[in-house]
Amino acid sequence: MRLQVEDIRVGYDEQTIVHDISMAIPDGKITTIIGANGCGKSTLLKAITRIINHESGQVVLDGKNIRKMKTKELATQLAILPQSPESAQGLLVEELVSYGRFPYQKGFGNLSAKDKEMIDWALEVTGTKDFRHKAVDALSGGQRQRVWIAMALAQETDIIFLDEPTTYLDMAHQLEVLELLHMLNVQEGRTIVMVLHDLNQAARFSDYILALSHGHLIRAGEPEEVITTEVLKEVFNIDAVIGKDPRTNKPMCLTYDLIKGE
Amino acid sequence: MANTHTKKFRIWFILFCLLFVVAIVCGISMGASSLSITRIVPTILGQGSFKEEFVLFSVRLPRVIILALGGLALAAAGTIFQSVTRNDLADPGVIGVNAGAGVGVTVFYLFANTNLQQYVFMLPAAAFLGALLTVSCIYLFSFEKGQGVQPFKLVLVGVGFATALSGLMVLLMSTAERADVQFISKWLVGNIWGTDWPYLWALLPWFILCLPLLFYKVNVLNILAMKESTAIGLGVNLNKERILLLFLAVALAGSAVAVTGAISFIGLMAPHIAKKLIGPRHQYFLPIALLIGATLLVIADTIGRILLTSATIPAGLIVAFIGAPYFIFLLIRNK
Repeated sequence: MRLQVEDIRVGYDEQTIVHDISMAIPDGKITTIIGANGCGKSTLLKAITRIINHESGQVVLDGKNIRKMKTKELATQLAILPQSPESAQGLLVEELVSYGRFPYQKGFGNLSAKDKEMIDWALEVTGTKDFRHKAVDALSGGQRQRVWIAMALAQETDIIFLDEPTTYLDMAHQLEVLELLHMLNVQEGRTIVMVLHDLNQAARFSDYILALSHGHLIRAGEPEEVITTEVLKEVFNIDAVIGKDPRTNKPMCLTYDLIKGE
Repeated sequence: MANTHTKKFRIWFILFCLLFVVAIVCGISMGASSLSITRIVPTILGQGSFKEEFVLFSVRLPRVIILALGGLALAAAGTIFQSVTRNDLADPGVIGVNAGAGVGVTVFYLFANTNLQQYVFMLPAAAFLGALLTVSCIYLFSFEKGQGVQPFKLVLVGVGFATALSGLMVLLMSTAERADVQFISKWLVGNIWGTDWPYLWALLPWFILCLPLLFYKVNVLNILAMKESTAIGLGVNLNKERILLLFLAVALAGSAVAVTGAISFIGLMAPHIAKKLIGPRHQYFLPIALLIGATLLVIADTIGRILLTSATIPAGLIVAFIGAPYFIFLLIRNK
């Protein structure tokens, strides 16, 4: 496995958010991190992708500590789609997507033939080609999210991180984004690591799930191993009934109640 | 990729080039001793009268070139400050560069006033040092452990420093001779005073060094203007690039301000107007912003020279007259 997390600890000020987590990200698979609000899942994602610093431990990519790698070089290995991306301030779709080529460019930033090819491909595969000349901010939420994914794809990395890529989207658009990621994983062999809120989406689209609670890794494994009554009780403090999705045969949380008292 | 921004860029670029040429021609021909437009080309070709040659080569031409370079530098610095701090209200004047350069120039002037002509080459350096010291302090004060520099805090601390340094200037002035005070107060309102060739030669090396580097960094500026997490993800070494670009901005604005006097708002307006016209990609809006900055300052100075027959109104005042309402408009709109 190319990407390993070893005893990573992350904190803000005096407070520790992520407690010495170790894990390996399986190559060519979709890995999803789940957990309650404030459990440290976004923080963990940011620490693995060097957006925030960690206090101890290390993140190793191909046997090298990522802190020792040049940030530009690392950007050719892994791409990140941050949580609820910012306003594009008037940028056109193809301009924003072209920013994904930054790690390969020098100086003034003229696009090479290869750059253009990758941008076209990213627009094509995300279904955003038709509005490549439109302003990003003029698009709907679902379209905009696909444009940001296109930018991450233009980065041409084997590993893609996404922090809650479905937030603020309606059900159909959520599925559209997840189907796109699934397709990238199956057809292109990309390794995908994301944070999701919806358990059933996590179960349906992931090969591997990491369940976090209060900054500790509670369980890691295939959906069948993680989406269980026992784990959900510990992670979300809920009493869940787990069944099977009649269409995909994946585990599914049918209904749940809060666990009252102790 | 010929999209709307590419097309718009071509049109606006040509338009602003024309406007710039018009401003230069007006700047050369209008003023107390006028030089008719039709006489400019013959005079350049050496067919002018003695008076025409004097007005063109010794009075107007150096002045207009210095103004154009000054406006260009302020626009460049404003672009850098706005992109690096991700704040449309950042400007060399707002962020304390003018104030820092002012203290540098004042101290230098008070020490070297009798032989200013001899030391003219050191003037941009003095202003640069003053501005650099100021911006370094601002940078350190807005640095947060583990998180690097917080761009928004940079602007706030900058405004604080600018005010404090203005106080220092008043203190320096109160201890100085009367003639010196007059010079400093004129400098503070942006009275273009370095209008002779030596000042231009003093300014030129700074531009030759800084401008190519700035254009080399347009791509980095694009990414720095994004949210921090996006910029890191795309592989920008945030602290290294921020420091380098702020250094560039300080060198450009500091050296320009040393010769033109403390001029605000150009660095605010020029990039902002350009961005509104052709979007936030620096490849497009930076050249336009530079043209706007140069044109604005040349026009402001020309207006200042022809408005009153008895005296010249400082270009800084004219710019502020246009710039201040624009700044307030921005503040309201940003809410």
